[in-house]
Amino acid sequence: MDKNTQSYICTGCGIGAGLDSEALSGMVSKEMKFPCKTHEALCSKSGRELIEGDINSGANTIVIGACSPRVMQDEFNFGDDKIVVRANLREQCVWCQGDDAAADFVQELASDNMRMACTKAQKEELPEPYKLESINKDILVMGGGIAGLTAAKEAAKAGYNVTLIEKAAVLGGKAIGWRKQFPTKAPWTDLENPSIATLVKEVEADSKITVKTETEVARIGGAPGAFRVTLKAAGTTSEWDAPAKVTVDQQDAIAKGEMADPNVGKNIYTAENPDALDYGAVVLATGWAPADVSEYAHLGHGQLKNVVTNAEFEKLAKAGKVPAKVAFIQSPGAAESDSDFPFCNSVTSMVALKQARYVREDNPNGIAYILYQHMRTPGNMEMFYKGAQNDDGIMMTKANVTQVEAAGAGLKVTAKNTLLNEDLELEVDMVVLAAGMVPATKYEDSINLAYRQGPAFLDLDLFDGYADSHFICFPYETRRTGVYTCGGVRKAQTMDETIDDATGAALKAIQCMESADRGVAVHPRSGDQTYPEFFFQRCTQCKRCTEECPFGALDDDEKGTPKPNPTRCRRCGTCMGACPERIIGFKNYNVDMIGSMVKAVEVPDDDEDKLRILALVCENDAYPALDMAGMRRHKISNLVRVIPVRCLGSVNMVWIKDALSSGMDGVILLGCKYGDDYQCHFVKGSEIASRRMENIGETLSTLGLEPERCAVRQVAISDYDSVASVINEFVEEMKGLGPNPFKGF
Amino acid sequence: MQINPDLQFIKFLKGAGGDTLKKCYQCATCSVVCPLSSDSKPFPRKEMIWAQWGLKDKLVADPDVFLCHQCGDCTAYCPRGAKPGDVLGAIRAYAYTHYGFPAGLANLATSAKNLPILIGLPAIIILVLWAISGGMHLPKAGHIDFGGFFGHWDFKYLSKTVFFIDAIMLPAAGLAILSAYMGVSTMWKKMAESLETKPNFRPSIVQFATEFLWPSVQEIIAHNRFNECGVNQDRARGHKPLMLAFIGLLIVTTYGFIRKDLIGIVVPSMHGPIPLWDPIKILANVSAVAMIYGIFLLWGKRSNDESVSGAKGTFYDWFLIYEIAAVGASGLLAELTRLAGIGSLAYLFYYIHLVAIMMLFLYMPYTKFAHLVYRTFAMAFERYRVSDYIVKKA
Repeated sequence: MDKNTQSYICTGCGIGAGLDSEALSGMVSKEMKFPCKTHEALCSKSGRELIEGDINSGANTIVIGACSPRVMQDEFNFGDDKIVVRANLREQCVWCQGDDAAADFVQELASDNMRMACTKAQKEELPEPYKLESINKDILVMGGGIAGLTAAKEAAKAGYNVTLIEKAAVLGGKAIGWRKQFPTKAPWTDLENPSIATLVKEVEADSKITVKTETEVARIGGAPGAFRVTLKAAGTTSEWDAPAKVTVDQQDAIAKGEMADPNVGKNIYTAENPDALDYGAVVLATGWAPADVSEYAHLGHGQLKNVVTNAEFEKLAKAGKVPAKVAFIQSPGAAESDSDFPFCNSVTSMVALKQARYVREDNPNGIAYILYQHMRTPGNMEMFYKGAQNDDGIMMTKANVTQVEAAGAGLKVTAKNTLLNEDLELEVDMVVLAAGMVPATKYEDSINLAYRQGPAFLDLDLFDGYADSHFICFPYETRRTGVYTCGGVRKAQTMDETIDDATGAALKAIQCMESADRGVAVHPRSGDQTYPEFFFQRCTQCKRCTEECPFGALDDDEKGTPKPNPTRCRRCGTCMGACPERIIGFKNYNVDMIGSMVKAVEVPDDDEDKLRILALVCENDAYPALDMAGMRRHKISNLVRVIPVRCLGSVNMVWIKDALSSGMDGVILLGCKYGDDYQCHFVKGSEIASRRMENIGETLSTLGLEPERCAVRQVAISDYDSVASVINEFVEEMKGLGPNPFKGF
Repeated sequence: MQINPDLQFIKFLKGAGGDTLKKCYQCATCSVVCPLSSDSKPFPRKEMIWAQWGLKDKLVADPDVFLCHQCGDCTAYCPRGAKPGDVLGAIRAYAYTHYGFPAGLANLATSAKNLPILIGLPAIIILVLWAISGGMHLPKAGHIDFGGFFGHWDFKYLSKTVFFIDAIMLPAAGLAILSAYMGVSTMWKKMAESLETKPNFRPSIVQFATEFLWPSVQEIIAHNRFNECGVNQDRARGHKPLMLAFIGLLIVTTYGFIRKDLIGIVVPSMHGPIPLWDPIKILANVSAVAMIYGIFLLWGKRSNDESVSGAKGTFYDWFLIYEIAAVGASGLLAELTRLAGIGSLAYLFYYIHLVAIMMLFLYMPYTKFAHLVYRTFAMAFERYRVSDYIVKKA
């Protein structure tokens, strides 16, 4: 596109008072060759009319120096065919300076912000959405329990074809073994007859749903909108089974005969099964298995007769009458710990209440003791708790259960630290342990992807094995775009919760396919039309992009040349940050563009007070935190030049070299928290960036530059009160180090 | 501790005003707000879970159950509507029956469905004795003397009516005293057993009376604890005149006994009605009015509780209110009709009065009236358990 440029400076919101806007406008027109106009309120009707007038006269590349690009997005949206770049002159310029700031320093900050914005506008291209040659919008649902059945039903209701596969011979999953289920309606006190049979019937009768029982997934290749799925009979092996990931070290060991090749008889991951079925998205609902609780020797499961798990008790209750005196033990910690059984969440509390009701239903003088450390009955289930509590024969206390032993024909339970102020000895007929719900993904790959990064989800240890990527920020999502999870595989949850969960996952799957159809990113950059483009002629097959992509979007060929799958991609740019050859970029975000913006900053080489610090700031959390700091009028050093980045993972180290070689005195990266409780929107980006920065520190010291000139700081979106001091402290540190010795060269 | 929940006990409590007991979730707000509970021996949080678990043996041996005056502060502040005050009331109702002797009579006095027997028994006894006495007649108008209710004989050392009244009331009171003694001593033994530490040595009867019992009685008369109550001050206002009325009437009865049964032996004119100007007669009439006033307040208070705050009406509470009201009203009406010279009515009211008093004596140890002894001794026990007679834990 032939660029016809135009720029504007808004003088509203204190910008005009804090800056010499005429001088700024003159600089932009003269130096950047962007004709520049000023207006007292660009977001107003007259302001928009001013811009629209210029657009009608042919302007198509527009720079607006006004408020933060995070606000007024509708006001400054002039259509997809225009390039609009916003320079932040308000929150991160005049608002964060205070009355005592030296006017020339503030003016220089504003000028650099305009220079960078104009440079960006010059380098930016209009995006062209990536479209698959042909798209499939059928959904594969794995698992025929409540979660899978609901997901299938909801997706079919929304008009999509669904294939539901189930390992077992019949549909229904765990729920078909239940005698009663939790209340689902007011007054929330009475157990209900299981509704699973109705759900199974609905699904079986639905013409949009194809049910395949005794079926498993061998492998899933391809990408959202074009998954290639090979199914097989349950329990069998196939040449199309997804190959296990083999690391370089393991490959060596296999070659030396020290290790068995796990992939004997399996086709490599890139092999295409011509008979594979096409799907657009996958919902994983492979559920859970009752936990093994025999490790808690003092509770006697597996050794004492009549010590059973809640799952085993449910079977007994379904088959017939349960004993009259039963103790339900919710927490195994004895005297040492008050933690519940693992994988419990709140479900086992409610299961104990339900099963205590069985004891009372079956025995007129039945007594159910519930010995807990925590009773968790969220939402309306509080009424269920109250109902059970009101039953004469249900006795509850917080307790440390220290021992279960045989006593005559029955069992004796010893408990300490109870609400009765005394140690208890209970004579009971049966003991029920609140075993948790272990997600299927804890011990198996489940999803069986034929991806370069292996068949399973990554780093599930962070989530105790649950198939999750960030429970609060990204429900249902996994680190594999197009694969959504729900039900017990995602969290120990009740039937009611599972139904909500499965509906959510089905909608996510639909959103993903429709986004792929429009050629845009699905999440978290929903609607983004750009995607990473590779200049393959210069690729050295170093495999950094394929290894580092947090979402496994890149496959490769035998030589190691990356094979992009744009519909798997989330557009974070981690590949772009990784690439040493700098051959990966987006239309509106690439190595050259940011590098040019860095170089556009004017670095005075004759004034030791005018240091220049580059801040590469994650646009998801740190940049809004900076805006909020400005809104609160926190003072941020005007020596700092901020460039927002999609994710710290996209930061290419060449930008840091660009900054330092152009005479800037320090570089600070502000990104999300990483580690076990990460907040990174692209899961691994900030972690990868800090690793790269450790390496660049070493490079700097070989050049004779202090490694302290480069730093990474973690900033959460809620850190708006401290982010100014994080930056200012770094600036003070740079002042201590003195100017960059390469300045002026 | 071996746990043996008693589901029948829970059912009893639920029927006796403690229907909310299972709602408690042990937050202990009750123990914190209770004005009567101490920091070192808090209640009623622990009583609530014992009740939920049907642990009746622990509850009947728990002095705190009897120390509770049912101010209702706990009930007002309970976040779950478990009404601990009402639950403790139900536990006391159970305890009086539990300790009651003879058990048959105790059980009889726990249920409204036994009312025909409970009323009929004294009514028939008195009626039969009236018939046997041969004095069964209606008096002539203008000259009514209840001293002739059971007729006359010439045996000057004891009037016929006094003889019959003694014959009715002394066994009833004796039985009540025996039953109360047995109940209280069993309770004391259970409470002593439940102490974590054992006594060093036993106090003598005099020591017991002066160090534990008398201070408790003083406290009761002064209404110190009742006055601590927050939300239900009205109950202290009703209880105080009522209790003083009973003390006044005790003095009057004692005086009457001495005057008529002892002095009357040598001065036969002492057998007649006591003149209205006699200070003792004045005390009697003031007490009667105080009794009616007190019971009127308590009656209103309880009706109000039931209609406004949804307290459950129980036989346990209402029996005592009706009973005292019957004693007061029948006594006053008997006196008024006597003074008005309406002989037939005066005799009818006098008869009712005798029946009501006999019921009061007979059922005292098993009904709510039993708090008179049980709470007094529990308060004595409260002093005892922190006294030097008990070994202190290191």
